[in-house]
Amino acid sequence: MHIPSPRGAFRVWQRDLTIFRKFWKPALFPNFIEPFFYLAALGLGLGAFIGDINGQDYILFIAPGLLASNAMFAASFEATFNTFVKLKIDRVYDAIVSTPVNAEDIVAGEYLWAGTRSVLYGTSFLIVLTALGLISSWWALLLPPFIFLMGLMFSVMGMLFTSLIQSIDFYAYYFTLIVTPMFLFSGIFFPIEDFPAPVPQLAWFTPLYHAVNVCRELATGPSPAVLIDVLWVVMFTFGLALVPVQIMRKRLIS
Amino acid sequence: MDGGMKNGRAGADSTLVARKLRKNYGDFEAVKGVDFEVRRGECFGFLGPNGAGKSTTMKMIYGVAIPSGGELSVVGLDVTKDIRGVKRRIGVVPQENNLDEELMVRQNLLVYGRYFDLSKKSITQRADSLLDFVQLSERAEAKVGELSGGMKRRLLIARALINDPELVVLDEPTTGLDPQARHLVWEKLRQLKNEGTTLILTTHYMDEAAQLCDRLVIMDGGRIITEGKPRDLVKENTSPEVLEFRPRPDSLEALRELLAGEAEHVERSADLLLAYTHDSDELMRTVRRSEIPLENTLYRPAGLEDVFLRLTGRSLIE
Ligand SMILES: Nc1ncnc2c1ncn2[C@@H]1O[C@H](COP(=O)(O)OP(=O)(O)O)[C@@H](O)[C@H]1O
Ligand SMILES: [Mg+2]
Repeated sequence: MHIPSPRGAFRVWQRDLTIFRKFWKPALFPNFIEPFFYLAALGLGLGAFIGDINGQDYILFIAPGLLASNAMFAASFEATFNTFVKLKIDRVYDAIVSTPVNAEDIVAGEYLWAGTRSVLYGTSFLIVLTALGLISSWWALLLPPFIFLMGLMFSVMGMLFTSLIQSIDFYAYYFTLIVTPMFLFSGIFFPIEDFPAPVPQLAWFTPLYHAVNVCRELATGPSPAVLIDVLWVVMFTFGLALVPVQIMRKRLIS
Repeated sequence: MDGGMKNGRAGADSTLVARKLRKNYGDFEAVKGVDFEVRRGECFGFLGPNGAGKSTTMKMIYGVAIPSGGELSVVGLDVTKDIRGVKRRIGVVPQENNLDEELMVRQNLLVYGRYFDLSKKSITQRADSLLDFVQLSERAEAKVGELSGGMKRRLLIARALINDPELVVLDEPTTGLDPQARHLVWEKLRQLKNEGTTLILTTHYMDEAAQLCDRLVIMDGGRIITEGKPRDLVKENTSPEVLEFRPRPDSLEALRELLAGEAEHVERSADLLLAYTHDSDELMRTVRRSEIPLENTLYRPAGLEDVFLRLTGRSLIE
């Protein structure tokens, strides 16, 4: 079992940040625009037919969930396409492993970077939601750190997939069969609890479901039950984190 | 020396010691038990054809391949016990260019320096003097993708020097470069050596090995087949002069028989017959007298490729 060194992971995170700083403005900009599209089409358009969900305006219901999916997409792209390019196309990791930074540090550094990127994207999104009056609780101040945690979680998942595939084309499976169903069936657009079995039970086993719950509760003022969702996210993330580390190491060190 | 290896240190004047070093990829044995020792301050070469196991041996030195057996100590440290420590003190120029394409030329050095936990100040100073050393100062803010092959290789060399390494490993530093770019790389490597840096390099160009290396091993099929100073290897393994005959196909056998009797030894490489001798004038006269028809004939002094041909029966570059 190879355990990453924090110092090595930090160096890899720092490299990603150096590159991000060159294009941070155009990279963040869409995150200020995206909420408007969703909120206009779904919140106002579809919402006009739906009215309330659980006593909440439809637009208020979906806004925090979209924050969770925004973090999921940011971290997933980072841990899939971006990582694959560094691994197999630009061979960035081959250069790094011949320095005092080891292969296991690289993976941990990419987790941290995906978390950071999620926070940057998610916070931009959150600023818009707040400005539109869609966030009603001071607990929402805990959203950015939670978005970081979500970023870690989805980058661990994405990294696991990346560590197993040989061709970039396989990501179509990841996004079509894993990311998109989560996006649709994790309670962002409608309460999943009302579905017949086994849909709610299945949803309980997926990360986005718990992430959406936490975001929604923090946006409106949480109940103690949210701790279970947070615990789920923590257990899933840290339980799985070292698996891609070992597999990626095997791909970089023969 | 063996006693030295046990407590993880090479001898006083050795930078690297390999003993019975092996590497398997699955069932395939790429390196089949090699022994060699690199002395402080020398340029040590690995000459061999593609697939000989040169890169695999280099990768074991810098920790990208883990030895399957034997011992390997680099800068006094056992690679299986303290690879981070080894990597901290050596420089690596890989066979495949892996510069960071998303960073500018100078940034490549700055970011790479951080992997060694060097201070920002020392990285900046060092990056600028290294760009100067490899004659890329004017391209400092260029994109890596805009550099020529020779410039990229020089930048790789500069990058390998960012941590002021005591040993630099270079895997085929001039493969694919045009003659001018090669000579510039050679010049830089000589300068480094004169400053006291130990160099290990692989090549399949015998002229490169002969020009740069104080000592070298010839590798083939995962084994070291011979070792020594370039000049001594030629002296010990072959005669000093070579005549390359290109006979007409129908007279190849006749010429070969004649040469077998007259030359010190004869090798065949495709449609070429190579005759080794101490007296090429005399041999040439004998061949002329025989009136065997020849297409053309070339005289040259013997070199390392002749050593390889003699030892393996094959030429170095197919
Ligand atoms: N990662 C690997 N997996 C399987 N075989 C490999 C791997 N790397 C190298 N080889 C094989 O090992 C042999 C030696 O390769 P290499 O060390 O690259 O030789 P050289 O650098 O002398 O050309 C070759 O036959 C090559 O195909
Ligand atoms: Mg090679």
